[in-house]
Amino acid sequence: MRLLGALAGAMSALSFVGIAGTASASIDPGLATAPRMEFLPPPPGSYRLQNIQRVADAVLLDRTGQPVRLSAVTQGKITLLTFFYTYCVDPLGCPFAHTTLANLRDRVRGDRTLTGRVRFVSVSLDPTHDTPAAIASYSQEFTVDPKFEWRFLTARRVPDLLPVLNDFGQDVSVDVDEKGRATRTLHHMLKMFLIDDRGEVREVYSLAFLQPQVMFNDIKTLALEAGAAP
Amino acid sequence: MHINSRWVLSVSAAAILSIVASVSSADETCNSPYMSGLIKGQEDFVHVWTLGVPGLGDGFDKLVTIDANPSSKTYGKVIHKISVGGRGEAHHMGFTDDRKYLWAGGLDDSQIYVFDVGTDPSHPKLVKTIDDLPAKTGYVGPHTFYALPGRMLIGNLSNVADRGGVTGLSVYNNKGEFVAKYDMPTSTIKQVKGDGYGYDIAVNPAKNALLTSSFAGWNNYMRDLGAVVKDPEAMKHFGNTMVVWNLKTMVPERILAVPGAPLEIRWALPEGQNWAITATALTSQLWLVKRDDRGVWAAKDVATIGDPAKIPLPVDISITANAKGLWVNTFMDGTTRYFDLTDPEHPRQTYSKHTGSQVNMVSQSWDGRRVYITSSLLSKWDKQGKDNEQFLRAFNWDGNELTSAFEVDFTKEQLGRPHHMKFTAKPQRVASLAGASVR
Repeated sequence: MRLLGALAGAMSALSFVGIAGTASASIDPGLATAPRMEFLPPPPGSYRLQNIQRVADAVLLDRTGQPVRLSAVTQGKITLLTFFYTYCVDPLGCPFAHTTLANLRDRVRGDRTLTGRVRFVSVSLDPTHDTPAAIASYSQEFTVDPKFEWRFLTARRVPDLLPVLNDFGQDVSVDVDEKGRATRTLHHMLKMFLIDDRGEVREVYSLAFLQPQVMFNDIKTLALEAGAAP
Repeated sequence: MHINSRWVLSVSAAAILSIVASVSSADETCNSPYMSGLIKGQEDFVHVWTLGVPGLGDGFDKLVTIDANPSSKTYGKVIHKISVGGRGEAHHMGFTDDRKYLWAGGLDDSQIYVFDVGTDPSHPKLVKTIDDLPAKTGYVGPHTFYALPGRMLIGNLSNVADRGGVTGLSVYNNKGEFVAKYDMPTSTIKQVKGDGYGYDIAVNPAKNALLTSSFAGWNNYMRDLGAVVKDPEAMKHFGNTMVVWNLKTMVPERILAVPGAPLEIRWALPEGQNWAITATALTSQLWLVKRDDRGVWAAKDVATIGDPAKIPLPVDISITANAKGLWVNTFMDGTTRYFDLTDPEHPRQTYSKHTGSQVNMVSQSWDGRRVYITSSLLSKWDKQGKDNEQFLRAFNWDGNELTSAFEVDFTKEQLGRPHHMKFTAKPQRVASLAGASVR
């Protein structure tokens, strides 16, 4: 644990240094092409999604700076969770993920059987820069509909975020400049986690699998599995 | 399941240390392409999953790391090796989706070793051993490790009950916890009966398609090849099918008759392509698996490899990133061949070179300029006497000729029998601040 603490400190220091760096961002999604869908997706309920892993609990911060238990926003509803940072500009990174989610939200809202049963959660990868105020500002365009729960979260400090990243298997790296100083170019593999209402990860989407119709059918499949809408 | 006591800490450390690493820029084309950090330039290291040989070195299976960067002082040399403390028929490996970990399997003991290659690829570390595959699934012989988001899809070769070829697929999450199993089909689907055998797996998410191929069970692959060939009953127990699965539902939708043990599967990944290719070991043919205009998948033989009557035994293929070419290694005649795939319906062999007395795996860099081959097929199937060369040979490829770059003699180096290869690249930029802080 001593080493872990030291490493956590290193990460925190890096993030701090990162603030002073120049703002640029890129993500490494493997084959950097937008997802393609050249098939008819199987209908909702015709298949069962795997129980991949249970989400471990943690304490994060919401847009007002209030502590939020991760379990409180990954249970009780079908949840799509992803990681982001506010200054990401990679067209196939966070902006793509949030555009995909926004479109999916509209589709979910159009299905009355899903009313009140689906939420999205976006967790910042950079607690140092993405303060509650920063994510509050960033999230405005995504949270205009009060009837749809889309939570934006950050952490009080990097060590609070690390267990969450480890649990989800979400890698993050930071480019450094020629002098070895951390820049504000973060790399992470774009992943989205579909979590059922009991807090179990049931599907993981990387870039190639961000196929909105399939994702919508997966949500419907979990809703059908949980039973009819209350 | 045995969990290394340092696993949790290592995961944490890896997550943190990765912060100081920028992304690699390339990769061999046979990896699951749906992961991060594909190497598209010069690979720095070749990791070789190596079978232990009794009396040679420590005799254990080991992951051997070779410096593959021509600009390095240790170019072409073994720079690291890590033994796993047992000999279980080391065979294939696969990266996790984030390319931080390398999973390596034993076909005999069904152990799965997880190596951390992300923290310091020049010095991989064994961080976990998964030993519950037979208990959880009834399968043995983990062969192909194929990264899916958040988990590893594993193609197995055999089963606990009779050690024959009927087997299935298993899924573990990236923490190494069992998730699911799927039997290979033995029923009849659309007039073709499944044999239940397994081998390679390959995914195409744009088509929601998972392809599997079929080889043989433990009874055959852990038996002396000469004895197998002379046993007519044993020769009946090789796979003759491929299966097209619905990736989302994990339901087999079509069984394709592909006689003669179809082995490695490679998708043509460029946009607009709708085919994959494989080679049959026993019948020495290239088979094209293609979806027609009606959306129906079909397989057909499109070329012969060498003289099938002489059983050259094609054992591995490597497709170019643009899907215009294919390397094929034939074990028996020790030949590395190149096929022009410009017209995948009519592949043409345009080059061949005798590269060893026995050759098995072939891997190329993403840019196609470097080709690596190893010698060992299986401990019981490798040649005897002076023909039992054990090596990794690296070549440069200029489009016309393979020229030798370097060679590692695995017998002379007391390492064992080299089999599967994977590439890594060292972090390009490192934060000294983090290094100082970590210390």
